[in-house]
Amino acid sequence: MARYFQLLLAQLRLSLLVSAQYRVDFFVDGAIEVLWTTTALAPLLVVFGLRTTVAGWSFGEALVVVGFFTLLQALLEGVMNPSFVAIVEHVRRGTLDYVLLLPADAQFMVSTGRFHLWRSVNMVTGCGIFVFAFHELGRRPTVTSVLMGMLLFAAAAVLLHAIWTLAMCSVFFAVKTENITDVLSATLDAGRWPSAVFRGATRLVLTFVVPLGLMTTLPASALLGHFDGRMVGAALGEAVVLSAIARLAWRRSLARYTSASS
Amino acid sequence: MIAVRNLRKHYRVTKRPPGMVAALRSLFHRRYELVKAVDGVSFDIAKGERVALLGENGAGKTTTLKVLSGLLHPTSGTARVFDEDPARRARSSLRRISLVLGQRQRLLWDLPPQETFELNRLVYEVPEADFRATLRELDDLLELGDLPRRPTRELSLGERMKCELAAALIHRPEILFLDEPTIGLDVGMQLAVRGFLERYGEQHGATILLTSHYMGDVVALCPRVIVMNHGTIQYDGALGELTHRTRPEKLVVLHLERSVDARDLVALGTLVAHRPLEVVLRVKPSELKAVLADALIRLPIRDLSVQDPPLEEIMAEIFAGRSDGRRAAPAEGES
Amino acid sequence: MSVGRELLRLFAFIRIGATGAVAYRTEAIVWVLSTTMPLIMIAFFGAVTRDGPIGGHSGASVVGYFLATFVVRSLTASWVSWQINLDIRDGTLATRLLLPVHPLVAYTAESIGSMPVRVLGSVVMGLVMLALLGSHALAQDPVIWALWCASIVLAWLLSLAVSVAIGALAFFVDSSAKLMDAWLAGLFVFSGYLFPVDLFPARVRAVVDWLPFRYQIGVPVELMVGALDRSTALDLVLRQLGFVVLGAITVRLVWQRGLARYSAYGG
Repeated sequence: MARYFQLLLAQLRLSLLVSAQYRVDFFVDGAIEVLWTTTALAPLLVVFGLRTTVAGWSFGEALVVVGFFTLLQALLEGVMNPSFVAIVEHVRRGTLDYVLLLPADAQFMVSTGRFHLWRSVNMVTGCGIFVFAFHELGRRPTVTSVLMGMLLFAAAAVLLHAIWTLAMCSVFFAVKTENITDVLSATLDAGRWPSAVFRGATRLVLTFVVPLGLMTTLPASALLGHFDGRMVGAALGEAVVLSAIARLAWRRSLARYTSASS
Repeated sequence: MIAVRNLRKHYRVTKRPPGMVAALRSLFHRRYELVKAVDGVSFDIAKGERVALLGENGAGKTTTLKVLSGLLHPTSGTARVFDEDPARRARSSLRRISLVLGQRQRLLWDLPPQETFELNRLVYEVPEADFRATLRELDDLLELGDLPRRPTRELSLGERMKCELAAALIHRPEILFLDEPTIGLDVGMQLAVRGFLERYGEQHGATILLTSHYMGDVVALCPRVIVMNHGTIQYDGALGELTHRTRPEKLVVLHLERSVDARDLVALGTLVAHRPLEVVLRVKPSELKAVLADALIRLPIRDLSVQDPPLEEIMAEIFAGRSDGRRAAPAEGES
Repeated sequence: MSVGRELLRLFAFIRIGATGAVAYRTEAIVWVLSTTMPLIMIAFFGAVTRDGPIGGHSGASVVGYFLATFVVRSLTASWVSWQINLDIRDGTLATRLLLPVHPLVAYTAESIGSMPVRVLGSVVMGLVMLALLGSHALAQDPVIWALWCASIVLAWLLSLAVSVAIGALAFFVDSSAKLMDAWLAGLFVFSGYLFPVDLFPARVRAVVDWLPFRYQIGVPVELMVGALDRSTALDLVLRQLGFVVLGAITVRLVWQRGLARYSAYGG
């Protein structure tokens, strides 16, 4: 365990070093992240300009949901997507083999391969949205609700990672043959897809594969002060179960990549 | 150390016929074809041996290497490394092997190689003292200088290769798998890499298995060669033996003082090249003495040399399947 | 140079684009995933309209609107800017310049090539719309549909022009991918993609009508769901044409200047 923590720190440090090499990008990309957050707010702003409640949620309450969505997106774009892209690159260049040969858990090395730290800007933006939301509501959250919110957010993050891992496995299926031209063309085309594509993909996944409610609305409810044991239990349970399934799928996919089953 | 028995590795590959209609159809219904990359291969490699896997592209060399390093599971047959199944990827085994894939790098691109070295040290759990000692040694042998401290992307191909090798050896593996390690390198770099591998092998008694289609790699490094073709072993043994079996004839190169008519040369042997002042003949070893004596008397010779046929030609002949080498493969190499 | 031969050459590029679009199932999936926003907005606005219509949009009409957005986005989205960035970065552009076809023509032809697959997806979605909502969800007037045909082509051209122009900025800066990202953000918000433009407050609405975004997606969508009368429709389609012309001029300018710079620096 301690060793993996050390490895995590080492990986973080390396990502930081690489990001530091491209300083200008840091600020520009940060700005773009904030821009995309505002696009998430636009529908809300417009609708709440004409209404006071939507499906029983007031503007402030809806903002809390958006806040959690932003935090999750920061996680996805800052941690998971970069690693996804890195893996696709690995498969394309044939260097995934090096990762698999390391005497360390492959899933771990792959998940922590690359962080995009400027996307942590959205962590800040998300918190900013919370502040704005509670300003709108005219009150402050209690300590318990903050803790519950954080707990459920952690569960949501774990859930998201599980879903991401499952998406990861698809890379192996897409390139499961040793046919090099297959690999090259497939990933060349994948490289053509802009990040906006993955934005769309993540949104689909968030809404339909796992009910959006579970991942953003639940933590939002908790932060707003409504939570019960059953809800929390369900969320944590689902996080654990899906993680287990994802891990299994990962091992299966790896086995396929190394043709264990064929 | 390494034991392979009846190894087979078959792949299903999607067939992609050209044309729009076929492409559309393949969206819904895929056609597969079976590629037999490795088709019944057996051999043993003992500790400290240096062996070359020779063959053309598609012969099955890289696949065999990947099976031995645990990256691929065999379709049938067994491969055992340290008397274990490499596909299980036991941590302890992974720490004792290393794989270098020519032209594919493990070094982090935007950062200096030193960072990759450090990461490897952490991942392979190499003690600080050993790490420093190994680095010093590698620096000596490879003449790294300050290369490890410059970003990888700023290094030339040859410099990168040196650092790649260093990164692969940080954890002092007992077995070194190399897949085309000198491909794409200039001649000077090739010599440097071969020299390094030889010295490293001698100093540490590491077992080396490399694949290549460069004869130079083989001659410099590996006393033993395994020749693969279409997924099977054609020959397994010493290189000299292979030459002797395949093309036992010698090449005699005559440098003349003035040109000579072809009729005068016919009796000596098979004419390979006939240029105004240079003649190349193929002569059976048993007739060599007689031919040389005859030539020295009859022809205006300024200089002559006797050579083995180029290894490339020998290899080409083996792969064309016309050689005696195939029939005469020794028992241990038989599949 | 005979027209026939020119057409054949172009057809080669179209085929490349088409084959590329169908060759890999994963790509098809990724591509479908990229146009999911409308489906999510259906869910959102479903919740909004449950309490009653908003700005003239009811629960049913909102579903129709976003399905139409899906169709229009599928048909008009252009990824050429990323392709151009890639080509400039790894030197493929130099190879393209040597071909007897102008690179811009080639890019256009390749974009056309990817249409069949997209049209297929859109047709399927259109049929879904009809099945779910009945024909009254779509426009009834044949003149409107004629205008729609023009509008969708203009929207496609406009998106292509934007994509090429921004892509060509890669001649001047390291990578224009971020700018394309920013443009997309604007597109999502101001085009009618995330929500109908008539939900904007009046002052914002006035500005939005002068931005190109609405003419990339919003106008064809509004035509499709029958939200516009003939005179407004004609007016908007003409404005589309105006933006397309503007786009074409911009492309020419940026490309020429960019190419000059590219050649000057040895590519």
